Amino acid sequence: MKRYFQPIKRREFLKKGMAGGAVIATAPLWKLFSHSLPPPDIISNPLADLDKDTLNKLITIGLQNGGEFAEVYVEYTVQNSIGLDENKIRAASRGVDMGVGIRVLQGEKTGYAHSDDLSLDKLKETARVAGLIASGEIKQESVTLKEKDIPNYYLVKTSPDSIIPQDKAKLLWKGNEVARAYDKRINQVGVGFSDINKKIIIANSEGVFVTDHQTISRLMVSTSALENGKRSRGYAYKGGTLGYEHYDLQVAEELAKEAGRIAMAMLPAEDGPAGEYPIVLAKGDCGTFFHEAIGHSLEGDGARRKTTCFWDKKGEVIASKIVSLADDGTVPGARGSINVDDEGMPAQKNILIQDGICTGFLYDKLNAKLMNTKSTGNGRRESYQHYPIPRMTNTYLMAGKDDPEDILKSVTRGIYIARIGGGNVSPTTGRFVFGVPEGYMIEDGKITTPLKGIQLMGNGPDVLMNITMVGPDLEIWGGGTCGKAGQGKPVSDGNPTLKVAKITIGGAKIQES
Amino acid sequence: MAEHVVQTALKLGVDEAEAYLENNRDFELRVRNGDVETVKQSTTKGIGLTVYKDKKLGFSYTSDLTDESLEEFIKRTLQLSEVADPKPWNGLPDFGKEEKQIGLDLWDPSISEIESHKKIDIAKEVEKIALAYDKRITKSYASSFGDTESETIIVNSRGISRTCKETGVGFGVSVIAGEGSDMQTGGWSSNKRHFKDLENVVDVAKEAGKRAVEKLGAKPVKTIRVPVVFDRYAAGSFWYGLLFALDGDSVYKKTTFLTDFLNKPIAAELVTIIDDPTIPRHVGSMPFDGEGKITRKNTLVENGVLQMFVYDSITARKAGVKVNTMTRRRGYKGPASASTLNAIVKSGNTSRKKIIEGITEGFYVTGLRGMGTDIPTGNYSVGASGFWITNGEIAFPVDGVTLGGNTAEILKNIELVADDLDMRGSLNSPSFKVSELAVGGKQ
Repeated sequence: MKRYFQPIKRREFLKKGMAGGAVIATAPLWKLFSHSLPPPDIISNPLADLDKDTLNKLITIGLQNGGEFAEVYVEYTVQNSIGLDENKIRAASRGVDMGVGIRVLQGEKTGYAHSDDLSLDKLKETARVAGLIASGEIKQESVTLKEKDIPNYYLVKTSPDSIIPQDKAKLLWKGNEVARAYDKRINQVGVGFSDINKKIIIANSEGVFVTDHQTISRLMVSTSALENGKRSRGYAYKGGTLGYEHYDLQVAEELAKEAGRIAMAMLPAEDGPAGEYPIVLAKGDCGTFFHEAIGHSLEGDGARRKTTCFWDKKGEVIASKIVSLADDGTVPGARGSINVDDEGMPAQKNILIQDGICTGFLYDKLNAKLMNTKSTGNGRRESYQHYPIPRMTNTYLMAGKDDPEDILKSVTRGIYIARIGGGNVSPTTGRFVFGVPEGYMIEDGKITTPLKGIQLMGNGPDVLMNITMVGPDLEIWGGGTCGKAGQGKPVSDGNPTLKVAKITIGGAKIQES
Repeated sequence: MAEHVVQTALKLGVDEAEAYLENNRDFELRVRNGDVETVKQSTTKGIGLTVYKDKKLGFSYTSDLTDESLEEFIKRTLQLSEVADPKPWNGLPDFGKEEKQIGLDLWDPSISEIESHKKIDIAKEVEKIALAYDKRITKSYASSFGDTESETIIVNSRGISRTCKETGVGFGVSVIAGEGSDMQTGGWSSNKRHFKDLENVVDVAKEAGKRAVEKLGAKPVKTIRVPVVFDRYAAGSFWYGLLFALDGDSVYKKTTFLTDFLNKPIAAELVTIIDDPTIPRHVGSMPFDGEGKITRKNTLVENGVLQMFVYDSITARKAGVKVNTMTRRRGYKGPASASTLNAIVKSGNTSRKKIIEGITEGFYVTGLRGMGTDIPTGNYSVGASGFWITNGEIAFPVDGVTLGGNTAEILKNIELVADDLDMRGSLNSPSFKVSELAVGGKQ
């Protein structure tokens, strides 16, 4: 069975993201918001009035103070969620966000203004305010917007927004029933389905005109177990840039069993040890580690400002020879996949580390220009209320050659990380910390006691050098919402089975040596 | 408008309705290396609608406030309620007899009149002074200035109609100190309701500089159990774990380690924790909570004994307990949920210096990373940085270690609470000493 669990990042509890959707790049504007089963508020969507002429006008106003670049970002997002707990459908909810963000650049300067009032007067004022950052003569009088064809990496046939909540509720009931039946000691079960349906238009003074329809969906089951005052939790989910056709009763059942299994496996967990140990990371479920501990230090804004630990390391060895790392926005159906980034650049696969050598950084337009290079398709923003910054998409450690069984056998005493939890990192020092929702002792090459309350701690540069074995079994799965500079963005990650020769474990138990 | 939405919902047949409206203006400015890097200005507004029909709950939000869209929005919310199961405890809060709303002085009319060049000057100056603090400070992350004006309106079909206008203003800086290959960041800021309450630019800049430099050369220590002092500014993340564990819904579902501890001792006697959002001009103050109830001071833990859990009105009704006034909205996009508003851990009477002087070997923690407390079990595990204490003195900076233990034990092992409470945010704590904790580092 495919395991659907993937670490939930810290912000995931605050913001549950969703994405997926085919693109009609050549349709007239009013059709952009049409739909197989059109909800009335999308048909009457006021964005339909934002035609090319209007966008053109706004760009020109943005440039009138001498700005070098102006951009209009239009967004209309519908979010749906439905949740079940305590054997009842708690509530279904729906939200609509719409607005326009206008950005003007001059040198290193960014002016940004946004409005959720879409009257032409308000938008003109928004463009004018964004343009105030610049000073000087007008450099560009007008622009010709050209529509661009873009590829599709979303696996969406049926938009989850077109499914009535009563149908989604059936999945929740199934998950609830199966998880409760899994074991008598399971005392609480929560099941939720959520989807985000985002439509965007990006137009800029370079003539770029792109539209995209992004869908992210997720079905999640969480469990709690209680026995003699001992408590544990488990959860499992399936999600990504996926249409509703990827969810059915069988999926709900598998997730429920997995969530039940984890809660029961962790119920007898013992205090983890404190100190330095070798660790083995399970395939697929530990990619967050690379996202947090390495990826953030390879984002182009930090490289330009020289504030990350790798800013001057391009072309140099920063990892052991068996380490190659990619960030790839083109993985079909993955949660971090995008047809275009939020500056209209097509997504691409970027190699960040090749055989231990740092090969590049992730860039948005602004940081790329200031570093005399090109955007890597990583200019992303949470919504029209934010300007884009370099962000990861799907980040993964590439496959190696070591047999996963040999990897485990090579450890006499260490920790097996079945899945990694929420984490954070300082990109400057590279120091990170992660929770471990499912971890076990390794004794003489075998997985033994389940462990509670452990954390992984260390710094990215050291860990990269300490990766001594990498398996061939790469899996990219799940993902969460990454938070940076106050912006949450859906991402995913992945990894093959691997070994880190030593890392600091924080647990409550001190080993007597 | 909120009034209109509630009335329309009632006309369409809901039993109860509540509209929550937000209207914000924000300004944000960033400076790096003496130049303005970004200026961001925005106005946002939106409405969140909660309806109950036959004890079934529906919720929607929208930022599309045009007349025709609003009608559709209200209808849809009603439709959503039809999907939910009825729960006998569903419904608007019971307001009962409320305390009189007092003026909290949260609005500074001068905020909108601060001239741009003044904001830029402050951001430039704080960066310049922080960079000059020490030769080893080599780079600026950025400095910033921001201000916000917001209006919050709650109207419901029980006749409640409340409005709060508030302002916020702040500035701060973050710099990087480097020595060899070692890089450390340090930042500091000041955030207030009123412009003239902001702290001195020089003080904020120097604090940021000091925080970057003092960490240079930090290293892990060997794994050991020692007394640990949590600095007042690092302590917040520890207390968050405790506050989450007091969530009424988790108590009802028996998913928190504090489930069975009401009116029992959960911490050392010198621990008292209150929630007080009624302090005039304070950043954590608010006149009414997320459900529109007039706020008041609540005592959560008194002399170590747990006095109450934190409930929203629905969970309180479900659990059959009296509702308190601790719910929060995270904007208009969600319903109110149980949360403390302005938690304060009471000061003790020992100075921080004295506490450190009394330790032969120990760890003075000034930075914590990670979530910390696992709510079901109380397990506590975080990344930590700070300073090693040898013979009552700060010996050297420490980073790359973990703290491990159990929140319930840590609370009982609090030996001393310092007198250095500094009210800077919505969770405020003095420094305190725990008799012993596992510090995980090198083998």
